[in-house]
Amino acid sequence: MAEHTVASFDEDLRQISRLINDMGDLASSMVGASTRALLETDNAMAQRVVSDDAIMDARQRELDDRAITLIAKRQPMADDLRNVVGSIRMAGDLERIGDLAKNIAKRVGSVGVSAAPRDLTHSIDSMAQLVLIQVQAVIQEYTVGDATALAKLRNDDERIDVKYTSVFRELLTYMMEDPRNITACTHLLFCAKNLERIGDHVTNIAENAYYVLTGTQLPANRPKQDETTMSAPAA
Amino acid sequence: MKPMLSTDLNAADTTVEKAKIEVKNLNFYYGQSKALKDINLSLPERSVTAFIGPSGCGKSTLLRVLNRIYELYPKQSAEGQVLLDGKNILDRSQDLNLLRTKIGMVFQKPTPFPMSIYENIAFGVRLYEKISKAEMDGRVEQALKRAALWNEVKDKLNASGLSLSGGQQQRLCIARTVAVKPEVILLDEPASALDPLSTAKIEELIDELQADYTIVIVTHNMQQAARVSRQTAFMYLGELVEFDRTEKIFTSPREKRTQDYITGRFG
Repeated sequence: MAEHTVASFDEDLRQISRLINDMGDLASSMVGASTRALLETDNAMAQRVVSDDAIMDARQRELDDRAITLIAKRQPMADDLRNVVGSIRMAGDLERIGDLAKNIAKRVGSVGVSAAPRDLTHSIDSMAQLVLIQVQAVIQEYTVGDATALAKLRNDDERIDVKYTSVFRELLTYMMEDPRNITACTHLLFCAKNLERIGDHVTNIAENAYYVLTGTQLPANRPKQDETTMSAPAA
Repeated sequence: MKPMLSTDLNAADTTVEKAKIEVKNLNFYYGQSKALKDINLSLPERSVTAFIGPSGCGKSTLLRVLNRIYELYPKQSAEGQVLLDGKNILDRSQDLNLLRTKIGMVFQKPTPFPMSIYENIAFGVRLYEKISKAEMDGRVEQALKRAALWNEVKDKLNASGLSLSGGQQQRLCIARTVAVKPEVILLDEPASALDPLSTAKIEELIDELQADYTIVIVTHNMQQAARVSRQTAFMYLGELVEFDRTEKIFTSPREKRTQDYITGRFG
């Protein structure tokens, strides 16, 4: 892409891109660390995730400020306009991913002290791996400008939904087998739900990034595979 | 009832409505130099079309072809067709005075005549119509109201048109144009010499006038084009690069040259 005649416009846009990248890196590291802390009952790591969330929030506020100022000063058009508005929205999703990772981290203590069997966490582990790959990939594909990969990535969220359904059923079984598992399993269920929600935010980011890059929206319908509502009490 | 344009921003959809003006295979020459190259476009009735592009791209030239005002100057010639309601206005048999009552024009710098506010409007009307004083009073009032100037000048209709502020003078010129009941209004940078408040008034006026007139505006101010027009034509080096719904042009244009221009990456 050619440079703007006004060079400082490019610099303003670069700073917004840099913030999106920073927030993407931070989101990946928070998701990775929170699930590792959960699986290894590492309270110190969990604490780091909680404090990282404050950094995430600050980054989002900075991005909002810069984006609003840029719109006021430059009146961006076409791809620049899509970029700025898309960045505001993507930053919102990244900030929510940070919140959800923090929520997982805060549950580490409660799950750790209970008498839950270790193998409860195996399914969560593989779900977390899937989610982490998605979080890392979405910002990377946006940065390299690969719209096709973003469209595919959005559809890949289906795999997380399927995984969540199976984790839900598994945890339900453990709880029915032995009521002493209920506390830990409930916390793990929330963690699984958080991971599933993180997947949804990745989907939003992929959709936004696709629009920023191409100027067209992905079709509204995407396969949905969360079947837990069939067997879960109304939330 | 007018047919609705598609809301799909991805559809190049400017042909649904009845065309007021159709430009077909238009070429224009300043002496030997070709200023417009095979222009084809269709301007829908009762809506605002904006021409944008860098200086020298041909947008003002195209505007000047639409009422043949270029013929005031020697060595300028147009070939091709410009159909107004299906009739070719470039035809030699076209009565130019009649054409210019149908297609009015407002220029970049306000050009009030050195006469009273009242006469500024009555003068043009008298050229084409013989009407009584009472009818003329009504016509002047109506035109000034149409141009959103009446309340500011109704108590000083005999004052000189030149005593008005720049923004008021420009609205006086629009009133003068409207008074002869044209069908099309051509605006060549109508707000570029005005302050933001006067500009806003002109834009509000354009918004109201499009209910009755087909309006074509040339502007360097991209935000203005985005605000006031329903379709936008981007021109470059005498070519029509892209013509589409304004929302489409300013959010996701098809052509890279359009994108580069409207985002400020040109040259």
